Amino acid sequence: MSVFSDIFFGGLFQGSLYAMMAVGLALVWTTIGVFNFSHGVFMMLGAYFAWQLVAFGLPVVIAFPLAVIVMAGAGWILQASVVRPLIGRPNIVLVVVITTLAAGSLIENGALTVWGPRSKQLPSLIEGNTTIAGVGVSLHQIAIIVITPLILAALWSFLNRTRLGLALRAVAQNEDASHLVGLNVTALYGLAFAIAASLAGLAGIFMGGYRFMNPSMGADPLLKALIVVVFGGISSISGPIFAAYLIGFFEAASNYYFGLYWTPALLFLVLIATLMVRPEGIFASRSRGLA
Amino acid sequence: MSESPILSVEAVTAGYGRVTVLHDITLEAGRFGNVGLFGPNGHGKTTLLRTISGLVAPKSGRVVFDGKDITGLSARAIVATGLIHVPQGNKLFPDLTIGDCMALGAYSPRARPHEAENREKVVKLFPKLAERWRQKVRTLSGGERQMVSIGTALMSHPRLLILDEPTLGLAPKIKDELCTAVMDISRGGVPLVVVEQDIEFLLELSRQLFLVDHGAVKTEIRPGESIEHSEIMAMYFGH
Repeated sequence: MSVFSDIFFGGLFQGSLYAMMAVGLALVWTTIGVFNFSHGVFMMLGAYFAWQLVAFGLPVVIAFPLAVIVMAGAGWILQASVVRPLIGRPNIVLVVVITTLAAGSLIENGALTVWGPRSKQLPSLIEGNTTIAGVGVSLHQIAIIVITPLILAALWSFLNRTRLGLALRAVAQNEDASHLVGLNVTALYGLAFAIAASLAGLAGIFMGGYRFMNPSMGADPLLKALIVVVFGGISSISGPIFAAYLIGFFEAASNYYFGLYWTPALLFLVLIATLMVRPEGIFASRSRGLA
Repeated sequence: MSESPILSVEAVTAGYGRVTVLHDITLEAGRFGNVGLFGPNGHGKTTLLRTISGLVAPKSGRVVFDGKDITGLSARAIVATGLIHVPQGNKLFPDLTIGDCMALGAYSPRARPHEAENREKVVKLFPKLAERWRQKVRTLSGGERQMVSIGTALMSHPRLLILDEPTLGLAPKIKDELCTAVMDISRGGVPLVVVEQDIEFLLELSRQLFLVDHGAVKTEIRPGESIEHSEIMAMYFGH
């Protein structure tokens, strides 16, 4: 019983973090049609902004939301500086891979200069531990497991229940037609990046609360988010969300039965096998679009 | 019908990158009612419409809509003036429902107050859409998608409607239905600029025709000037 709940909580927890990261990546892909390789750096930046605000003496309840809002601005700025000028180019996908990688590298080294290489840690969302179904889990982890689906549900209803969300979904599907109904396509691109960066920043805050932070902490989550997004299909946000939890559970199970060492290799094996059968991802539909 | 042209294109040159498609094209529309554009494919009709609606920025020349210079304005700003363009084909928004598309049509602040009234008009014009309100566009037939395209444009509360080949590739029956609907829109008081390959339909709909050839207006046919189908065919083939 304890083994099962161990894997269950581990999977749920990892899945939450992956979902938080992957959704932003998918949002940017579906709306703008580019992959944002500075997404991992957004995660790191969110954690460091939060740390800095806490270091200034702000209480956590103010510092964390403030860091998330600041990240929205950071996402917007990044979009305006290294993505927007390239829109309309035929080779935009590849060019944006390079520009976002470059920006990510700059920001990462900037963070190293500003905050130094020494590992830092954020306060937990909730201090303390508890035991559920025979497994000891921290309240911080429980908080993440509970908060993530709420935020993803909020994002889903924003996209599906509001006029602005409708506009974002429209831009994802047909840019010309979006112009012709009078949408502000540039602003919507900025909004997609801002939302993605906030979500990544929040994931960083979650992570900084249970692991040590360093300026390159975003690299591995970015890789995982890419796997999740490719695995789940990049045509929607619900695909990556399901895939994130699936991969979280897979990792938790694999860690238990095969060990930490083998898990990444196994994960890629499953990914490759999946893509051979379903090249568009398991939950994908054929076209680009948010749903 | 108004005395002054509602839309005038003055010596516009435009294209994509280094390729120039429109060479110094000039035309005035709306003085005599609906305007029809025809001519061989690949000679700039679609580019002309895209330039008018702000999707393509002209390299030189002026576009004036209802006395206002709209040259170089963004597509969004042009939509805000009430000049609405229904693009060719019916790609639209494949994963949105018909209802979503109609809501998007009414996105601009100018159209929003008229949303309910325009929705009523669209439903009256295309009762089929009402039956499939919650269906995704990708699941619709070509004719139905064209109805969604035109319906979306009507939701934008147009003062001038530009249609790019509204009956392209449709079966005869559904084509007739659309032609009737387009005539109804015109009778409802919205002036039209229509690109169309079906000359019969164009002759019935519009009082002024332009033949666009090699990125310029080659011939203008004004009201009162009768024109035979054979003459038009001759114009197409350049005799």
